[in-house]
Amino acid sequence: MTDTDGRSRLLYWAGVALGPLAWGVNLQGIYALAHFSCETTRTSGAIMSAALAIIALLGTAISARAVRRRAGAEWADAQGGGPSTFMAWLGVGSGVLFALVIANQLAASLMISPCLR
Amino acid sequence: MSMAAEKNQLRDDVLNGFQLSQQLERIWRTPSGLLGALMSVDHKVVGRRYIVTAFVFLLLGGILAVLMRIQLAGPENTFLSADKYNQIFTMHGSTMMFLFAVPVMEAFAVYLVPLMVGTRNIAFPRLNAFSYWMFLFGGCFLWISFALNVGPDVGWFAYVPLSSLQYTPTKRPDVWAQMITFTEVAALAVAVEIIVTVFKQRAPGMTLDRIPLFVWAMLVTAFLVMFAMPSIMVASTSLILDRLVNTRFYDSSSGGHPLLWQHLFWFFGHPEVYIILIPGTGMVSAILATFARRPVVGYPVVILSLIATGFLSFGLWVHHMFVTGLPQLGAGLFTASSMLIAVPSGLQIFCWLATLWDGRPVYRTPLLFVLGFIVIFVLGGLSGVMVASVPIDTQVHDTYFVVAHFHYVLIGGAVFPLIGAVYYWFPKITGRMLSERLGRWNFWLAFIGFNIAFFPMHILGLIGMPRRVYTYTADMDWAHLNLLSSGGALIFALSFALLLINVVYSARKGTLAGDNPWNASTLEWATASPPPPQNFDRIPVVKHRDPLWADGESLPVVAGLSAERREVLLTSLAEAEPQVREASPEPSIWPLLAAIAMTIFFIGSIFTPWAVLWGTPPMAIALIGWFWPTGSKEDEA
Repeated sequence: MTDTDGRSRLLYWAGVALGPLAWGVNLQGIYALAHFSCETTRTSGAIMSAALAIIALLGTAISARAVRRRAGAEWADAQGGGPSTFMAWLGVGSGVLFALVIANQLAASLMISPCLR
Repeated sequence: MSMAAEKNQLRDDVLNGFQLSQQLERIWRTPSGLLGALMSVDHKVVGRRYIVTAFVFLLLGGILAVLMRIQLAGPENTFLSADKYNQIFTMHGSTMMFLFAVPVMEAFAVYLVPLMVGTRNIAFPRLNAFSYWMFLFGGCFLWISFALNVGPDVGWFAYVPLSSLQYTPTKRPDVWAQMITFTEVAALAVAVEIIVTVFKQRAPGMTLDRIPLFVWAMLVTAFLVMFAMPSIMVASTSLILDRLVNTRFYDSSSGGHPLLWQHLFWFFGHPEVYIILIPGTGMVSAILATFARRPVVGYPVVILSLIATGFLSFGLWVHHMFVTGLPQLGAGLFTASSMLIAVPSGLQIFCWLATLWDGRPVYRTPLLFVLGFIVIFVLGGLSGVMVASVPIDTQVHDTYFVVAHFHYVLIGGAVFPLIGAVYYWFPKITGRMLSERLGRWNFWLAFIGFNIAFFPMHILGLIGMPRRVYTYTADMDWAHLNLLSSGGALIFALSFALLLINVVYSARKGTLAGDNPWNASTLEWATASPPPPQNFDRIPVVKHRDPLWADGESLPVVAGLSAERREVLLTSLAEAEPQVREASPEPSIWPLLAAIAMTIFFIGSIFTPWAVLWGTPPMAIALIGWFWPTGSKEDEA
């Protein structure tokens, strides 16, 4: 595998990896911040979730760009055989999905007072 | 194995077709006789046993349902006592969820996945045999207990404090909890096998985007099982510990909390719905493609929907707990995520409709059941969106509206595709076709009977009839709808009787099927019906998502596998490039002995904690025997 191949494969997988990663960090981060957010500011969790939702969407954008550049035709091809492109398409959807899930948690931090136990 | 020995090994490329077939059949066949049958590790043998056993439990659970409907057909009926009714609705729910719905889906996967990915046996075949024995023993344990009047009577979810020692001082909840442990061990074992088979044993060329949709569905389901089942195992084990050694996980007076039970149970319980539903959607995709005569529209969309459904299913469990007094705002957020899951489910429905629209549908029995699935599942989905909303759920919680909703989702979403799958894959499993005429009667009786049985329950719920009541008074005005519902249930039961007659008759006298009677596209149809012990004489090479439609009879094949020992080909995860030839285990009695040892351990431990002590050595002996090097060909590297 050449360096270029390696880089493009990395790009194909970006959406698949970044979305769940952002969600995992968000989930752990919310628990870590919960103890402090009442004492300091209620926006800390919201800022973190917003940033991580953007990271998840960034994964979608990278995967979408990779798909658009390299393999538009394979989308419509019923033959298959392009697993990298396939994973990139899954990355596009997975980034959106995880951004939505993070946004759901973001909504919670905006609506529920962190001091409310 | 030494280099020289490997060089001298007999390979499949030096034998002609007939010789190879004979040689492989000799290596892979299950030994004859009773002992041979007990030792079998062939995924088809184990899969068939799993399927038949699960359908026997369906029959038993169905009989209980009919008994309940007879009891409720009229007001103040005395057909069943209150105590018996409690046992029966608990046994019905537990049997259907733990002994039928999940196992039957895994059973179809055990039989079909290795064939569909083009390999000779499932990964970890002895674990597969062990899984079946555990499932069988767990199911028998529950039903023998019921026959001895020790059947659980605390609902299929066994809420505490009702199921605590204080309120139920009999062994009934212990039987329920330990049955859970049996079936979860079995389910987890199959999940591991499916994941490894799909990831490592696919035929060369079957890249990730060429995996059949049914196999994708089972892969997602296997991951759901891996993440959901530990929760219920923790729950059931801690319940037994509370009852046996007073650990007080759920005793609020000692720092425990009853709500912990509900959280643990529903963290498993909601994904459980999708563990049952997602394989059904895989069956729908397989059947639709074949009978619409075209590939399913939006292959990546369907897969992403399966994955999204699986992931989101873990974020909804609190909607089962809306009336437990949780903060309303939090409940509102779970409403949002509950409605979110309708999106991927809806996407799949549109893909299937587009497939039908763009195809040339042939309306045979399997497709009729798929069409029935679409209608009923959409109705169940709509009432699901209703009960996802906190205000509506608060009103209809614990009423017959919820009973109607989840039967529409579970029977519509899983049982209809499953019966369609029986008609679809019966020719592959037995070599004979099911009767099409009886099949059509079967479908229409099921579709009409189901709707007459369950649609009135929506209305009964809305006018206030609560769940789990063994009778009601005449002045409640529920009698007519209940009678109608019971009539529908009998018609629905009749449809299953017809299916049974069809299966028994056709297995002996049905028309011979041939290899590919439906002109389907996936690899299981590339071998004989029923498949030989080795599945394929030569492992196919896949060059298309629909290999049989693209390459027809002349599938390219791999050469070089051993013709002297059981061997499977391992391939890479994404590209399915050949990597290693791996020995596959031979038949063994140890999985059965290990299951017997574990059964003694599990059942003993609900009576005395000492069972944990004296139950362990037999299990250790069984496992040592299982893994003891035998010097046979399978142990060679």
